[in-house]
Amino acid sequence: MLESLRDKSEVALSVKSLRYLLLDPNEMEGYVSLYKMQPIKRQTIITCMATLKKNMADEDAVCCLVIGTESGDMYILDPEAFTVQAKMALPSVPVYLDVTGQYDVEFRITVACRNGNIYILRRESRRPRYCVELGSQPVGLVRVNKNMVVGCAQDTLHCYTQKGKKLWTVFLPAAITTMAGMDHAAKGFQAVMVAMANSQVHVYRDKHLVNIILAQDVVTSLCFGRYGREDGTLIMTTKGGGLLIKILKRTAVFEEKDMSPGPPLAQSIRLNIPKKTKLYVDQTLRERESAVAMHRTFQTDLYRLRLMATRAYARVLEANLAPFSSSLSEPLKMNAVVQGIGPCFKLTLNLQNTSANQPSINLLISFMYDENLYSMERGFFKLPMLVPGLNYPIQTVVDCRSDKGVADTIKVFVLQVGRSSPLLTAHINMPVSEGLVVA
Amino acid sequence: MGLFDKLAGWLGLKKKEVHVLCLGLDNSGKTTIINRLKPSNAQVQDIVPTIGFSIENFKTSGLSFTVFDMSGQGRYRNLWEHYFKEGQAIIFVIDSSDKLRMVVAKEELDTLLNHPDIKHKRIPILFFANKMDIRDALSSVKVSQLLCLENIKDKAWYICASDAVKGEGLQEGVDWLQDQIKAMKT
Repeated sequence: MLESLRDKSEVALSVKSLRYLLLDPNEMEGYVSLYKMQPIKRQTIITCMATLKKNMADEDAVCCLVIGTESGDMYILDPEAFTVQAKMALPSVPVYLDVTGQYDVEFRITVACRNGNIYILRRESRRPRYCVELGSQPVGLVRVNKNMVVGCAQDTLHCYTQKGKKLWTVFLPAAITTMAGMDHAAKGFQAVMVAMANSQVHVYRDKHLVNIILAQDVVTSLCFGRYGREDGTLIMTTKGGGLLIKILKRTAVFEEKDMSPGPPLAQSIRLNIPKKTKLYVDQTLRERESAVAMHRTFQTDLYRLRLMATRAYARVLEANLAPFSSSLSEPLKMNAVVQGIGPCFKLTLNLQNTSANQPSINLLISFMYDENLYSMERGFFKLPMLVPGLNYPIQTVVDCRSDKGVADTIKVFVLQVGRSSPLLTAHINMPVSEGLVVA
Repeated sequence: MGLFDKLAGWLGLKKKEVHVLCLGLDNSGKTTIINRLKPSNAQVQDIVPTIGFSIENFKTSGLSFTVFDMSGQGRYRNLWEHYFKEGQAIIFVIDSSDKLRMVVAKEELDTLLNHPDIKHKRIPILFFANKMDIRDALSSVKVSQLLCLENIKDKAWYICASDAVKGEGLQEGVDWLQDQIKAMKT
């Protein structure tokens, strides 16, 4: 049984028991006899603490102590008897706490944990209500009004709403050493101070960098508030053991110069998007409900369309109705251009033999047209030999006989001597003759 | 000024009136100093933080002072500049025992000296390095160094160590101010 415990322990053990498991079998008995009189207690270590007002919001009201421990539990202690009033379990070890509200009314504990998640606990909930996954370890947690600003190990500053919706991200030039809130009630100024490994302290109002404090050394802790008689005092300690006290000037103005790199200001301007109409909502609802049926219908229609297109194409190929010939013996290509505004048009046929090295001979061209509408010099003539690759422009003149502004199609067939079906067919949509109108 | 007033002036019965601004940070002892300068029967026992400002009068041998005792609290300091025009002299009180806020006092003094209403006016400034009774208070020399008073070139100034609770050093300062004002008038 001990072996199985050693391999993987499902139960949480006390420090003594863990030590016992580490020992060699011959030392075990002595260890047991030494400690058998003492009760086994599982002790944990406090990782973070905060205070929570009991039932009044006054600045000097009675507070409960909120404790986060190494075992991943949160305790709220009674301020008089120091008994545990509430216990909450977290999936990981809490490192930063932020508490708002009152114990007897409604409260909200925001906990940044070592596993890189932020959990939000509420009154009457033993387990976290919301969870924010950060992507890296949190190194600071500050609440500004109702939003929380979290510093991450990836040199970033994220802002989330109470419900865990991300509002913005700021990229910092160096690793964060510590963070603190800055709340100047007299000026109505709230900001976040971020101390970094490059000895700078940045002050952010929302996501805008409003000030940079250059310290002589890396700042390790920050505190802003009333010191003596001065309301706006910033106290900093440095890595080398220094203490810096800065007093905010009475005339200080924080300007948003927007020095921070990142998305431009225009991105955060809300667009005036019209409200969703009932039609839209109904449509969305319908799409959501019968998505599968709609997809099937669409697919059926699509296949039918493809089939029809393929059939038509096959028929065109069979009847050599296309303006190119794919027969192996006589691969030909033709396009036609109509020039002029009428009544006399010039019709140019560009013929090309697309075979690699086989010339085409014994080819004929025939036109089919409405004789009441058009007349042609020659409706049928013989083609010269077509050398592969060259373009043969063949020009004929078409006269339009009608002055009624009608147009028709002229069909061109390329025929081969000795074959009944044409090699290729072209349909030329003739333009309306404008010549008579102009005249 | 009526004929009677002029007559009284010649006879030395009526004293000349001067408007003085009393400035300084909160808790530096402005009200206590002014209170001490008043005749002993008009003095009050309890000094409370001034709200806004209060107007006090006291007389010396040759002059009648009207003092604008301004509140030194941060939120009232922006009221100071509205009275700069009327002031014919300035009393600036410094808490010598508050080393930390000496920078704040310097900041306020610099703002005062660079204000357009003060900058080009040759008015005398009297500094009281107050609270000398407190054990580790800075000397008046040290205070004048910290405030860079030697940089004030175009105005008459004088610093004197004082203890407003006992009233020490106040008369010395007011005598200097009176001489300055008299010199200015003639």
